Amino acid sequence: MSLRIAARLARRELRGGLRGFGIFLACLALGVAAIAAVGSVRSGIEAGLAREGAALLGGDAEMRFTYRFASDEERAWMHSSAERVSEIIDFRSMAVVERGEQAEHGLTQVKAVDAAWPLIGAAKLAPDMTMPVALAGRDGLPGAVMQRVLIDRLGLSVGDSFRLGTQAFVLMAALMHEPDGAADGFGLGPRTIVAAEALEDSGLLAPGSVFSTKYRLDLPAGTDIAALAKAANGRFRDTGLRWTDARNGAPGVAVFVERLGAFLVLVGLSGLVVGGVGVSAAVRAYLAEKTTVIATLRTLGADRATIFQTYFLQIGALSVLGITIGLALGGLVPVLLGPVISARLPVPAEFALYPEPLLEAALYGLLTALVFTLWPLARTEHVRAATLFRDALSSAPLLPSLRYLLAIAASLAALVVLAAWFSGAARLTLWTSAGLIATLGMLSLAALLVRTLARWGGAVSRGHPALRWALAAIAARRDGAGSVMLSMGLGLSVLAAIGQIDGNLRNAISGDLPDVAPSYFFVDIQKDQMPGFSARLAGDPGVNRVDSAPMLRGIITRINDKPAREVAGEHWVLSGDRGITYAADLPERTHVTNGEWWPAGYDGPPLISFAAQEAAELGLKLGDRISVNILGRDITATIASFREVDFSTAGIGFVLTMNPGALAGAPHSFIATVYATPEAEAAILRDLAREFPNITAIRVRDAIDRVSDMLAGLANAVSWAAAASLLTGFLVLIGAAAAGEGERTYEAAVLKTLGATRRRILASFALRAGLMGGAAGLVALAVGIAGGWAVNTYVFETRFEVIWPSAIGIVTGGILATLLAGMGFAWRPLATRPAQVLRSRE
Amino acid sequence: MIDPVLSFEDASLSLNGNAGPVEILRKISLDVARGETVGLVGPSGSGKSSLLMLMGGLEQVTDGRVSALGHDLTAMNEDALARFRREHMGVVFQSFHLIATMTALENVATPLELAGARDAFERARGELDAVGLAHRAGHYPGQLSGGEQQRVALARACATRPDILLADEPTGNLDEANGVAIMDLLFGLRDRHGSTLVLVTHAPDLAARCDRVIHLRDGQVVETAEHKALA
Repeated sequence: MSLRIAARLARRELRGGLRGFGIFLACLALGVAAIAAVGSVRSGIEAGLAREGAALLGGDAEMRFTYRFASDEERAWMHSSAERVSEIIDFRSMAVVERGEQAEHGLTQVKAVDAAWPLIGAAKLAPDMTMPVALAGRDGLPGAVMQRVLIDRLGLSVGDSFRLGTQAFVLMAALMHEPDGAADGFGLGPRTIVAAEALEDSGLLAPGSVFSTKYRLDLPAGTDIAALAKAANGRFRDTGLRWTDARNGAPGVAVFVERLGAFLVLVGLSGLVVGGVGVSAAVRAYLAEKTTVIATLRTLGADRATIFQTYFLQIGALSVLGITIGLALGGLVPVLLGPVISARLPVPAEFALYPEPLLEAALYGLLTALVFTLWPLARTEHVRAATLFRDALSSAPLLPSLRYLLAIAASLAALVVLAAWFSGAARLTLWTSAGLIATLGMLSLAALLVRTLARWGGAVSRGHPALRWALAAIAARRDGAGSVMLSMGLGLSVLAAIGQIDGNLRNAISGDLPDVAPSYFFVDIQKDQMPGFSARLAGDPGVNRVDSAPMLRGIITRINDKPAREVAGEHWVLSGDRGITYAADLPERTHVTNGEWWPAGYDGPPLISFAAQEAAELGLKLGDRISVNILGRDITATIASFREVDFSTAGIGFVLTMNPGALAGAPHSFIATVYATPEAEAAILRDLAREFPNITAIRVRDAIDRVSDMLAGLANAVSWAAAASLLTGFLVLIGAAAAGEGERTYEAAVLKTLGATRRRILASFALRAGLMGGAAGLVALAVGIAGGWAVNTYVFETRFEVIWPSAIGIVTGGILATLLAGMGFAWRPLATRPAQVLRSRE
Repeated sequence: MIDPVLSFEDASLSLNGNAGPVEILRKISLDVARGETVGLVGPSGSGKSSLLMLMGGLEQVTDGRVSALGHDLTAMNEDALARFRREHMGVVFQSFHLIATMTALENVATPLELAGARDAFERARGELDAVGLAHRAGHYPGQLSGGEQQRVALARACATRPDILLADEPTGNLDEANGVAIMDLLFGLRDRHGSTLVLVTHAPDLAARCDRVIHLRDGQVVETAEHKALA
């Protein structure tokens, strides 16, 4: 009964139109649109990856091995299961262009293919030609194709020749599109494709060289891929096989897209929370306007439930409208901009209206609206009929009754649980939510502090009327201070935190790292090359230090005879093949934290020294048995000690070190790090590359630049999502400024009557906006620095220092934004004649 | 007095002002009989409107007791008071307090709807007809003159056939001609429905139309004058 009447009353109240609800709708629509858009793009990419799974992978399934080719048994199994099989060899090398005495060196990721490649799709070359023609070469030299970026770096033109190891190639074309490129993951060098048979005399694939082989399978139609995967993994479990199939053709990309998407949605959620502040302010202002109506209804006999339901339904209807606008924007923009977005993405995408991200955004929108509107709506309970005679609301309690507080808490909990569920990253969601709630709490406290300080400041600013009026206005208007602090503060906090995290990460990678990192990493040094390699460097005064170690690669398959992932879960140490070394003596600068290093000349059962931190994360203890698959053979060793390994210096660091007897028989190469002065670097590379063409040199600074570029891209994406929060915050500011316009017009009229000039009144308006913006900026900065410190210290484990340009930018941005919003609404108060205003008040 | 519809026993009201508690009404004791018309007069700030609010349960006493139709208003919570008002009382304000988003007809129908009347709109139309505004039923308050708005407010107050009609300076915002017309209507409706009428007024001629006039000063009753013999 009560609900039916409430619905009728709400419908009548909605006739008043959307006046005063512009900011309400914009805040909700923008927040929902940002989340819906991020989710829709993510779904579009996921759909694209799923649709193009086989093309991305270059076959229906892939069997990958590290350091070795498939055995006869494995090959026989592949040919019995597939209609066609294509073999690919993937490794890093140096492309060398010799021009007389000078030589250009470029790190490249080489893909050596057979005639069957690609099984699915086609490579695109410029000038246009087929792969067989390109790889056949000309003038007696085998052909190669290269990505444009490497061609330009080496100064090559089509028809020029270059070397990989000792084998010369002729560049036949630029590689414009590599059909299975996305499945290959992150590489430090651009791609070069050659024919596998052309590498026979290159000296690059010697025993112990670092390479992987991939066998792409074209399966008969109707093959049960899941069953085949199970069969392959069961049969070749102990050979180091890695299986991938078209159900998830580019797993690395899919995981990256999913995680980045989840994180961006969380950033978007913070924007929605900022919007919530605006929504709450709009509802408060609206209900304040409706106090007389509510009191009249109370006089006519409406009970509290009817009143609450009336306005709840009204605000609910408007929330649904705002969310619908947001969903339409967020759902349609990716579809409309699909061609533009697709052109910029390195992976396929299929943009359409996806229900799941829209549902996710709608749920977030509804729950946020509930969290932020219940409080002001609950206050309608305290509007008494006596309000018609005097302001009875001012004596109403600040807190709503317990049932509303519980409902708000339940909605908030539902929001966090949903976000955790949708993102699939519960920990990240909980930390983000805790951060947001703590920030909102801090900003509310800061607003209170600012008002208190403004009240105190009023006494000491006597003689400076403009400042005194500004401080008085800040002190008196609780909602004004709260809205500005919360809306601007939260958006700026997110940006400040991103600025501090990004700046410190860049510092760590491109600032600190080059000081402690080696100049070069050399890989694939054969054992018989080590003496010559060391001799070249020993006589060079520009070389400060050379470290070298034997290196093999292997996969940790079992822990204490159980599958490793079952025991220790998902951990980066278990996620792929790892470098493994052996050493007779405890290496220099190595510290054993627990257990004993094996004695000199030890030749007993295999022992392992494990990196201490990673062991702790995996839950390993001394005496545990670890099985490592190296070159298809499982070696099981017992953990004898834990030692500290510092991966942050980009020097040589191995998670696993074994006693020499365990590994020395296996074919392997050496790696070396060379610390040299910048002046000596070029000559070292030239000499070593000439003397040992099979050795690959990785210039650490180039790698750092590559990683920095990638981080810049990530920071950019996150900043865009944060900008949506800031835009919402600015909308809330505009709403607050617009809501206070009438009050400022009256204040200006009174001040003018008392003899104040418009310039002085304007100065007072500017001061209050600037002071509030500055305070919001400072609090945001404090929150951003605290958040940045926590993330850098505990997540990335890097040194932290305040990034001042970002910090100053945040405070300045806060001041400018509030000034802009405040001054935008200063014109009417200054322009209106006092008599006009004062008469209308009488 | 036999069968008082309104009864005050040592009723006091104090409110918290910026400078501390302010005593608005002090130990008021009075009865209003069924069918009586009572005028509350006195200078500004004497407590007339506050006394009227206590009668309507719009405000609660800080001390003493107020009862209406035998029900102790001081023992009721806000919702019980709201229900009591919709069943037994009608209130008319100086500034009309019509709901701007509702038409004249909807404004009048609202208390009937709240009371659960199935024929709310038919009855509301009849009430509007009684105040001569049937032809303005579909108009919004903003489209009506001050006199018309007050007539709609009168129709709304009388729609539920209340036992008690409370009017707070109902002609205060109107010109003289409109004021007289509204008072004629108010007294006419009271006569027709047999309601008890209590009104706050500054106008001596209006007060003179009441059975009894209560003078207030500084929150206390200082004089009571009876103009007509009670029926």
